Amino acid sequence: MTYAIGVDTGGTFTDGFLASTDGMLVSAKAHSTPPDFSRGFINVLGELASAIGSSVEELLSKTEYIVHGTTSTLNAVITGEVARVGFLTTRGHGDSIRIMNLEGRYAGLDPSAVQNISRTNKPAPLVPYRDVIEIDERIDHKGAVIVPLDEQGVRAAVRKLYDDGVRAIAVSLLWAFRNPVHERRIREIVQEEAAELYVALSHETSPRIREYTRSATTIINTQIGPVLKGYLAPLEEELRAKKFDGSLLIMQGSGGCVQAADASKYAVGTLGSVLTGGIVGCLRLAERLGHRNIISTDMGGTTFLAGLVRDGKPSTTTTTVLHQHQINTAMVDVRTIGAGGGAIAWIDGGGNLRVGPRSAGARPGPVCYGEGGHEPTVTDADLVLGIINGDNFLGGRKKLSKELAAEAIRTRISEPLGLTMEQGAAAIYAIQNAQTADLVRSVVVNGGHDPRDFVLYSFGGAGPVHAVSYSADLGVSEVVVPLGSTAAVFSAYGLASSDIVLTAEMSDPSNFPVDPVTLNGNFEKLEAELAERLIQQKLRLANVVFEREAELRYTMQMAEVTTPVPGGMLGEAEIAGIGASFEQLYERIYGKGAGFSDAGLQIITYRVRAVGILPIRPDLAAHERAITDPVPSSIRKVFLDTRKGWQDTAIYDYRALGSGSKLSGPAVIEAPTTTVALPEGFAGVVDTYGNLIIRVANSG
Amino acid sequence: MPLIQIAGSERFAYQPKSAEQTRKLASGARLHTVDDGDIDVLDPLTYEVIRHRLAAIAGEMGDGLKRMSGSVVVTDCNDFGATILDECGDSVVVGLYNTQLAASVDMAVKWTLENRSRQAGFHAGDMFLCNDPWVGGGLHQNDVTVFAPLIHDGEVFAWTAVVCHQVDLGGVSPGSWSVEGRDVFWESTPIPPVKIVEAGNIRSDIEDMYLRRSRVPRLIALDLRAKIGANNIAQERLTALIAKYGARTVKAVMKRMMNDAEARLRAKLQSLPDGAWSGVAHQDSFRHSDRNVYKILLTMTKRGDSLKFDFTGTDKETEGFANCTFAGLRGGIMPIVLTMLCGDIPWSPGGLYRCLDIVSEPGTINNCNFPAGIGKASVASAWATQNVVSECVAGMLDVHPDHRKSLMCVCCGTWDLAVLAGLDQRGNPFVTMICDSMAGGLGARVDQDGVDTGGLNCIPMGRVADVEINEFSFPMLYLWRREETDSGGPGRFRGGMGGSSCFIPHDSPIGGVHLVVSATGKALPQATGVSGGYPAGTQYDVLKRNARVAELFGAGRIPSTLEEIGGAADILEAHLETELGEQDVYYTHWQGGGGYGDPLLRDPVLVARDVGARKVSPSAANDVYGVLLNSDGSADETATRRRRTQIRCERVGEPVPNQAAE
Repeated sequence: MTYAIGVDTGGTFTDGFLASTDGMLVSAKAHSTPPDFSRGFINVLGELASAIGSSVEELLSKTEYIVHGTTSTLNAVITGEVARVGFLTTRGHGDSIRIMNLEGRYAGLDPSAVQNISRTNKPAPLVPYRDVIEIDERIDHKGAVIVPLDEQGVRAAVRKLYDDGVRAIAVSLLWAFRNPVHERRIREIVQEEAAELYVALSHETSPRIREYTRSATTIINTQIGPVLKGYLAPLEEELRAKKFDGSLLIMQGSGGCVQAADASKYAVGTLGSVLTGGIVGCLRLAERLGHRNIISTDMGGTTFLAGLVRDGKPSTTTTTVLHQHQINTAMVDVRTIGAGGGAIAWIDGGGNLRVGPRSAGARPGPVCYGEGGHEPTVTDADLVLGIINGDNFLGGRKKLSKELAAEAIRTRISEPLGLTMEQGAAAIYAIQNAQTADLVRSVVVNGGHDPRDFVLYSFGGAGPVHAVSYSADLGVSEVVVPLGSTAAVFSAYGLASSDIVLTAEMSDPSNFPVDPVTLNGNFEKLEAELAERLIQQKLRLANVVFEREAELRYTMQMAEVTTPVPGGMLGEAEIAGIGASFEQLYERIYGKGAGFSDAGLQIITYRVRAVGILPIRPDLAAHERAITDPVPSSIRKVFLDTRKGWQDTAIYDYRALGSGSKLSGPAVIEAPTTTVALPEGFAGVVDTYGNLIIRVANSG
Repeated sequence: MPLIQIAGSERFAYQPKSAEQTRKLASGARLHTVDDGDIDVLDPLTYEVIRHRLAAIAGEMGDGLKRMSGSVVVTDCNDFGATILDECGDSVVVGLYNTQLAASVDMAVKWTLENRSRQAGFHAGDMFLCNDPWVGGGLHQNDVTVFAPLIHDGEVFAWTAVVCHQVDLGGVSPGSWSVEGRDVFWESTPIPPVKIVEAGNIRSDIEDMYLRRSRVPRLIALDLRAKIGANNIAQERLTALIAKYGARTVKAVMKRMMNDAEARLRAKLQSLPDGAWSGVAHQDSFRHSDRNVYKILLTMTKRGDSLKFDFTGTDKETEGFANCTFAGLRGGIMPIVLTMLCGDIPWSPGGLYRCLDIVSEPGTINNCNFPAGIGKASVASAWATQNVVSECVAGMLDVHPDHRKSLMCVCCGTWDLAVLAGLDQRGNPFVTMICDSMAGGLGARVDQDGVDTGGLNCIPMGRVADVEINEFSFPMLYLWRREETDSGGPGRFRGGMGGSSCFIPHDSPIGGVHLVVSATGKALPQATGVSGGYPAGTQYDVLKRNARVAELFGAGRIPSTLEEIGGAADILEAHLETELGEQDVYYTHWQGGGGYGDPLLRDPVLVARDVGARKVSPSAANDVYGVLLNSDGSADETATRRRRTQIRCERVGEPVPNQAAE
């Protein structure tokens, strides 16, 4: 018997989940320990070990692999504690990382911030002016060398940077992804000049057309690579010392994991690491429940995240915005669309009630936390309306002050608007729900989908308080609130049940259809590279699958659409089929009749994903069957629906509900991790895994 | 021949009317309305829920248009507009896109209410198309608007509208950009509002009439469907909103949104001192080989809670293609009102316009009669209007301790147009507008520098393509694309830097490419400063004939300066159509933003930092900022103090005191 372990390090808690080959499931929690997150990692292993009555060493000696979701790289970028990097690029183009295609001024900002244009700014350049050096060399769009590399210039640049104290160099030359000869030679020269310098080349880090994003990606990768290595190497060493002989795998933003050593080489891949566990968990749950299309929402104290699963696959993106910088990295497409329970309610200059986008954050948090917050938040309204229980919030871990919340709402919202305190709170609740429906809807519609084809999964401490109300507005058919014993460590469960995913890509832009020799050659090259890297993972894999895709567009467009490509040797007919798939996909995303075939097609980037299925695939823990009809633990007045006002509402303790329990609104279900609000007119049932499934009638 | 107003064109020369007047004039139509009582009974919850949803619908229209359009200016540069208007054609909400375009949609709808209410009439599933800038809806003929009445219970409940730039709608030159044009007949013939969609079906007769004039009819047809689709999205969502909350409630919210925006702008204006601010915007050419300078005069008066823009004294309309209509004049005002006065006020132009009073003489360059040429209106007289409005509004805001934070000095003085045409590296014909100059510099602010290569203030979310994308798509090779030293207007806070691109034809089977250049601001700067700040540099476009680039490449060098490139320098006039030969080099340097405050008051540490980062040259530091540097690059405080005293004395013509005694 062997174990698979998932360890998910978040800002506050480090969660652990253990599954054995014979079906045992154990979960545990420990506090996160910034800045050295490895303490929390080891602590949660201790918790898991004691739960199965063994020592950490004994546990680790039987562990085949640990999959880890880490926040270390993201944290480094956010705090700016990254390595100093020198940047070498083609003469004439050093300003590209400052011009940022000008979109750097507004990328990732909330619309209200974009509207206030005179207060917008670009972020500080990724590399200050003195550390950017331009090199004489030039390659054209075909990959032809127009100007050979000025090797003396490179040597002088490296020496200057070295003498200034720079120890890591990012190199990004125009068209290097097309012909890497100059970037490779630069690495050789750097190594001749100063062997200890770390060098990253753009054609390896991000072999994709568009120099601004490729350069930004290469630079950030160079900045955080040493950070990740500095975190993982000692961690792995410590695990080895504790008799761990298996693989330490790091979750990537792309939805799969890789060996720790691989992860450090491609550190930008881990920027989305902490988001991915939840999505993988969501996929596994969806497989059990038979759902193919899911809107996954996670409303916590400070953020509201939304992601999509379509046809059993998470929707992914190939670029992301970080601190207004555009970077290339494959990620599950999880968007931050709101401020969560901490969204602040306020009166604007016109005397109108607004909710968000500003958040009270973790500090001071909502007024009811009693930690110095003065501005009322959504959580304060939820408390005042009786939906959440101040004595039993998150399983009683945090006491909330209804008096403080009510006072803040009364003075800052209700009185200025001429409302009773409760009316003000009810308005905040209803506005939050309506806005969430608008924002989630735009995520779904922009992906080219109809919300009515989806089931909504509601995660997070604050999510299920609002989910049923906004889901009805959104028009989804069903809401699933994942509860059950796995729910508290859902991301860690996702990590333990994930796959190895390796990605290789290259840009080779040309008109489409492209000749079969080129296309087959490109895919074979990528697949050979991946096969080699898979062997290096040194893991027992249940199965390996290669997935190909290509990015196509209509000539003259600036954005591409990722299009699936069949495997094997492809002939002209199959290649024409890729074009047809692109056009179909394009119509689905952009609307019927939106395609512009007359412009012709272009193929820009080729990509292959190797998915290695890991041998242990934990199931979800079964939930005990209900033997009696559910009995409310209490009845209290709750305000769930502006049309109904205050209603006597049954309060259920989730822990007393067995599978098969049926509930109907108005009701509130208090679980250790969250609170579920079930307004009148809705009914829910606890399923065999302990999830609460709620049918939603479409109220438009 | 001189411009003589065409008899019969008067009824298209539209001045928008108030809601009450429109209601009377649209007597053939039944218009849904509510009274003040309906607005008063709205509760804050319902108001906010519906307000948010209306904004979301405008966003969905814009997103839909972006998804469906085939035009890069739409899909990637956000150069389009999406608007929801009430039954009288007042704009309730505009998306965060091209604010110039959002400024005149109301005119087209109001004109249509006045002129089409009996025939062709307004029925469910109808949509109108218009690209007549005298009527409104856009600033030049390339701006094509499609707008639709929302019919509820047989009444016109509201209107939805989208507009975007179409690459070619005929006229003498490709791109409808006729640099030699003298009047509108050289250009695309304007189409006043026509019913393009009837009861949900495209009228093929009207569509053919529309497409027949274009050099790229298929692309235009695709974009027409995108616009219809975007209107459909909005109509469907608005209908659902009415079904859920009731027509009276939704309409009351729309009216209150405009009232709210109006009240808040009035409150802001009220908090500012009364006064008058005036300025002049210059344009240094109206067509090819024209070397005259044209003036737009503005006196902006703030009294109480309203703002008057008086353009009296502006030059008479002129032969060329750079005039603009009244829609263009409004398109020069509203973007500044939105971006500088309404950063924290909802963008409901229908309410905001009520605070503004516009005085202008018909027959002037920014309120021209038919048939004055207006082919480049949006980036000519409308843009120049925007510059002078920007200068005056900034001056007004500057006197208020809080509101001054939202001022920007004049941003990127004008659009530096470069159209390339010919055969691409794959042997296919192409025409494109190089949009690099969208990365203009933003104007300085009262507490910080303008954003370097930060964009245009009329398009909050502009974008430029990567060099690699341009080189992949077109037969060109860049020697550089960079921010240009000294291009930001000097000031206590410096204007954002503009940039330059320098490229050669590369890899075309026919060697060179065809080039159209159209950009004023070459003889005089157009991005002016505020409160003693200096203007940004002029636009500067140079064509080097028979340059030595090949020789330099052979020697392993990439040139970084025009001097290094060699060849004969042809400093280009504002408007020109020419060939860029295989051995030639084109250099285009667009403008930065104006500076704020006297550059002699700039912190010498900041000047030293700018010199270190190549944003300011050592000579400009000395000559303009009066800052001298030590050998380590830091500011020499003593020498700087002396130099600044010297400059101050020179400014007023007084002798420089002996400073050695200090």
